Amino acid sequence: MKTLITPNLLKFTLATIILTIIFRIGLSTSITNKMTLAVILCSVFYGILMWFNGNYFGRKEYEYLPIYDIGFRFHLSTFLAHNLISILWFVFAFESKYENIKIIYITTLIWSAFLIIHMIYYLSVRKSSIKNLDKKDLFE
Amino acid sequence: MAKNILPDLLSSWEETYKKGQLTLWIFLALKDGQKYVDEIKEFIESKSKNTINCEEQSLYRNLRKYEHIDVVSFENKKGNKGPDRKYYFLTEIGTELLEKFIERNIKLFFSTEINNLLK
Repeated sequence: MKTLITPNLLKFTLATIILTIIFRIGLSTSITNKMTLAVILCSVFYGILMWFNGNYFGRKEYEYLPIYDIGFRFHLSTFLAHNLISILWFVFAFESKYENIKIIYITTLIWSAFLIIHMIYYLSVRKSSIKNLDKKDLFE
Repeated sequence: MAKNILPDLLSSWEETYKKGQLTLWIFLALKDGQKYVDEIKEFIESKSKNTINCEEQSLYRNLRKYEHIDVVSFENKKGNKGPDRKYYFLTEIGTELLEKFIERNIKLFFSTEINNLLK
C-alpha cells in the first residue's frame, strides 16, 4: 500500500485539492451572480488545469518508478479529492443558493460507474505486473 | 545499390539489437563488484567499447526498478567529496537471475557449432 501512495501522487492530490477549491469558489460565485459564461469558463479552465496537473505529475511518476497503474491511482485520487471537497462545500454552506447537493450525488454516482470500469481494467492489467511494475517495462 | 544501404541496414539492426541489452550490462557491471552510478556508466561504455551508451538518468531509472523488485540493492558509502554515494550490488536473487539468463541466452554462443559460424 505504501508503495502505491507515492510522493508524486500526494503532490498531484494536493494540487487537485487546491484547483478544486478554486473551481468551487468560481463556480458558486458565478451561479450566485447568474453568469452563465463564467460557469462555462470555470469548468473549462478547471478541466484544462487538471489535465496539465495529471500530465505533469503522471510523467514524473512514470520517469521515477512506473508503478502500475498510474492512470487508475491518479483517477481514484481525483475522484476522492473532487467529490469530498464538493460535499464539504455544501456541509460548510459555501454553495450558491441555486445549487442543489443532489447534483453532487448524481455526479458522484455516474463518475463511480466509470471508476469501477477503470478499476476492472486496473485489476486485469495488474496480473501482468511483478511487484506492481509492468513486466514488459521491467528490463531495458 | 546494396552497398549504399549497408550502413543504414547495419545501424538499423544494431539499434534493435542493443535494445534490451542495458540490463545485461548493468548486471555485469555489478557482478564485477559494487559500483556507484558513474562507475557503472564507465564500466558499460568501456567494456562495450562504446557500442552501448547510457544516460545517467536512464541508469538511475533502471536501478530504481531493480531495487524495487529486489534484484539490486545499495549501501551508502563516503565519496571522495560531497555527500554519500549509493554503491549498488546484486542481491542473491539478482545474482541467480543473471546466472540463469546467461545460462539460457548467452552460453549458447559459446558452443563449437555457433562459435564456428561466428568466425
